[in-house]
Amino acid sequence: MVEAVATIEAQNLTKRYGNHSVIKDMTFTVNEGEVYALVGPNGAGKTTMIKLVSGLAFPSSGQVRLLGVDPFEKPSVRRDLGAVVEAPAAFYPYMTGRQNLKLHARLAGNVSDSRIHEVLDMMELGYAGNRKVGVYSLGMRQRLGVAAAMLTRPKILILDEPASGMDPLSLHLVHSVLRNAALEGTAVMLSTHHLDEVVAYCSRVAIIEEGELIDEVNLLDRRDRYRLRTSDVSGSRQLLELQPFISHVSTRGEEIVFILKDNGALGQVSSLLGSSGISLYELTRDTFNLRAYYRDRLQEQRVERNADEDVSERSPKFLLEEDA
Amino acid sequence: MLQLIGIEFRKLFRLNSLRFSLLLLALFPALWAYSPGVFNVYGYFVVSAFQVPALALNSSMQFLLPLLVGIASAELLGLEISFGTLPTVLLRPVTRSQWLLAKLLVAAVYPFLILAFFFAVSLLTGFPLGYGEFIGGTGVGVGGLLGEGSMTSNAALTELARAYFIAACSLVPISMLSILFTVLFMNAASGALATLSLLIFMGLLVVFPAVQPYLLTSQLNAYITPVAGTGWTLALIALYCAIFAAVAVVIFERKDF
Repeated sequence: MVEAVATIEAQNLTKRYGNHSVIKDMTFTVNEGEVYALVGPNGAGKTTMIKLVSGLAFPSSGQVRLLGVDPFEKPSVRRDLGAVVEAPAAFYPYMTGRQNLKLHARLAGNVSDSRIHEVLDMMELGYAGNRKVGVYSLGMRQRLGVAAAMLTRPKILILDEPASGMDPLSLHLVHSVLRNAALEGTAVMLSTHHLDEVVAYCSRVAIIEEGELIDEVNLLDRRDRYRLRTSDVSGSRQLLELQPFISHVSTRGEEIVFILKDNGALGQVSSLLGSSGISLYELTRDTFNLRAYYRDRLQEQRVERNADEDVSERSPKFLLEEDA
Repeated sequence: MLQLIGIEFRKLFRLNSLRFSLLLLALFPALWAYSPGVFNVYGYFVVSAFQVPALALNSSMQFLLPLLVGIASAELLGLEISFGTLPTVLLRPVTRSQWLLAKLLVAAVYPFLILAFFFAVSLLTGFPLGYGEFIGGTGVGVGGLLGEGSMTSNAALTELARAYFIAACSLVPISMLSILFTVLFMNAASGALATLSLLIFMGLLVVFPAVQPYLLTSQLNAYITPVAGTGWTLALIALYCAIFAAVAVVIFERKDF
């Protein structure tokens, strides 16, 4: 059997500038059709990670593979890569949007004029295609960046804050374009601060701080969650745990959270509780609060790190006291 | 690769430094050839149209032309840095060395383009003096073609074309050096100024007679050397170009963007 190759593969990536590590031993994969988001505070290493993966920066150690090959050894793999690594996306300001895309098309090879027209329309820039990029707004340049990235119908999309500086409608447009690309099989990797938007369509979110991948959240697992409030919490939980169409049950305060194996079985939950004499107060989808989760994880990480630093600072003194 | 070279040539013609250079080089021959102080500075009067290109080259080769070439070459790469387009281009399926070699090639052609323009403009500027035979033949150097015996128009034109061609060749290493420094500092202004600084520094090394013939700055006088000595000079110029270009490519290949 042939083993599936991850579309983007980062193995033990480390990037050091002098003695300072900006990326520390990060490993992850992004598969076909997945949207993988890097989130983290400013200076966490997201942009460096994007540059390492897209081949603009060299790792101090570790390896990057795109479609199973090293992009430094085989640059032609970049034919399948669409990327925006600058915010705002960079273009020649004295050329029109269309001319800039034509230049990209020439560099990429095998891109028709109709495709240029298509991506301009897709990013709602058809009306501005013949205007010089120098007069584009920030949001327009960002959209042109996504259009350029989509030119070659890439198998990989890598974007650094693709929606920065955008109005809500443009933001929605960019996210829907990325979602559609993923549905067509493109592996999408992006860095973002728009947690609420990405949670709606991202497959996995990597939380990065100080160059470390501190958590990877699988949002697909969390999307089919439901929560309910009933008159009998423990009775309801016991009952749900026995059901074959439910894969997971947990309690969160006065609420029960469960995951269905089959979404079509949701109706059975209310009838099951009713037939057992348990009153159902609320049954709703359990929307994962990435923002709160992210904040909590960062706080935990900082507490841990501060504790480690305290210990390492105090240890020599304790040793001296014990020795004495 | 041809595609890349074509793209880079189009960028060259958008450079502000190219326009600035052309403006200066268009004004320069007129100002110099008809200025009242020519005799005091150069020791001869301009009597023939063919002397104008000779005088223009002689008076600009030590400072103005190297500076203009250095600035434009630095800008050729620097514009990518200032527009932020460098990473965008490098994400396309072209190798870094291919892309930089295309830039280096265009930068190498640049001295020939501006010197061709300079030659044409200075020749036209001399129109009021006439293009007939004159007493000359001493070469485009300190004598400004004057002296010896009768010099035909064809002989003067050939001598000037040879001088301009060799002058352009001797400016090519400066283009390469300027790109090398821009790669190193990732800034056009720093690249151009570093090139200029190094040229001034090399100019000061004339106090070491053993080194002097091999200096890059010494090659800037190659246009006045007799034909017999040109082969050696061109070989040295080619060596300088190859070294600067190779170092620029090696550094560029390992650079983070």
